[in-house]
Amino acid sequence: MKRRVPQLVCGAFGLLLFALYFSSHPGARALNGLILNEYWQIIFGFALLVGVLSFAKVNLKSIERGEDLPYRIVSLLGLLIMPVLAVIWGIKGDSPFMWIFDNVQVPMQSTVFALLAFFVASASYRGFRARSVPAAILLASALLTLLSRSDVGGFLSQHLPDIADWVRNYPSMSARRAILIGIGLGSLTTSLRVIIGIERTWLGGDRA
Amino acid sequence: MRLEARHYTFIGLAVTVVAAMLVGFQPDVTPSPDTLRMYEYIDSLPEGSIVMLSFDHEASSLPEIRPLAVALLRHIYSKNLRPVGVALLAEGTGVGYGLMRQVAREYDKKYGEDYVYLGFRPQYIAAILSMGESVPATFPEDYLGRPYTELPMLVGVNTYDDVAGVISVADGSFTNHWIEYGHGRYGVRVSAFVTAAMVTTYDPYLASGQLHAMVGGLRGAAEYEKLIGIGGSGARGMLAQTCSHLYVILLIIIGNVVYFRSRRKGGGV
Repeated sequence: MKRRVPQLVCGAFGLLLFALYFSSHPGARALNGLILNEYWQIIFGFALLVGVLSFAKVNLKSIERGEDLPYRIVSLLGLLIMPVLAVIWGIKGDSPFMWIFDNVQVPMQSTVFALLAFFVASASYRGFRARSVPAAILLASALLTLLSRSDVGGFLSQHLPDIADWVRNYPSMSARRAILIGIGLGSLTTSLRVIIGIERTWLGGDRA
Repeated sequence: MRLEARHYTFIGLAVTVVAAMLVGFQPDVTPSPDTLRMYEYIDSLPEGSIVMLSFDHEASSLPEIRPLAVALLRHIYSKNLRPVGVALLAEGTGVGYGLMRQVAREYDKKYGEDYVYLGFRPQYIAAILSMGESVPATFPEDYLGRPYTELPMLVGVNTYDDVAGVISVADGSFTNHWIEYGHGRYGVRVSAFVTAAMVTTYDPYLASGQLHAMVGGLRGAAEYEKLIGIGGSGARGMLAQTCSHLYVILLIIIGNVVYFRSRRKGGGV
């Protein structure tokens, strides 16, 4: 019973949303609008609450054990300070919330993102080697793309950008399309399995 | 501390980028067909058309997103189109508003009449689908807290049928959702300004016509800046990008030379 009821609710809502997506009946459209604007937001609110509580719990436990103290304290302070600033002064324009976002979060995230360039440089020296024929083909494609996306490609040979475009438009795109079709079919199958009730792992295992 | 090979590669990259930025030389770029297509699309829209801009990115990609968004907004304002900004990611909310306001000042545009910012709506798929049913119901108020119905620019704007198209400024997979739900369900024309890493992800959609036009990466920004005739941080960053690409190519070559020499000697790397 504990599993059957959520399974039935899930199946019913799956079928309902599936029907609403394709129906153009005014009643269906109105119900669709209501679900999208109200119910999804309520679910999002609860999901957010679970995330915040879980984050706080994990950090508090680590503080109790004395692990990574400075990082955990900063994390929790961020979690507390940002909502307080948002509630008191709002999140618009020149508010303290936006000041912290612009002057702390943006530079920190950009810095972490920029570190990727250094890892790419290191990996290109240590790992990008023509150890086999497939690796050599991958290496040649990467070099072509890099050259064509800099301004040097056209300078070395007029055909270089054309060859790089060919790689992007045919082999690369074919592989990408195959992946996309695979993902699409996989999503469809999984959704059907969940709606019909064959897939029950989301209930915490296969013990129906 | 003893410096290892990777430390030298880090130092080399830092020196390359800083030196390239200090030189101040801007290489000439030739606009690609993709960038040209986007430029012609925006250029072809009638004056006063409403264009929905969706800021679907995080703060981390701002150095690449900002030149793209600024070039796009300059073109939009110079053509007297009227952008409506939304954000599907919370982090893009403040950034999107700041960029729209900053470029609007350059063109003396008035908020509410020439541009509007609706802000963030959680649950991106629900937000896209919900705007297809009703934009005012999805955003009863704008980002500044003004009721939707009191914004003169949005009179008569109810669904995607009332906008010329959606342009997603994205650093991840959010453009996918616009294509799958906005275009797939409601038929709205979707275009994108994306980071370079995402270009190949959207190539199949561009080829199939599900994505109308796409501009990608810092190079795309530099190309767009050239087309609109106003230089910006895209063009300024191109030399640094080119030099860092060449540096990576050099490292790949050196790495392979070292590898093959050591293999010939019978050792492994």
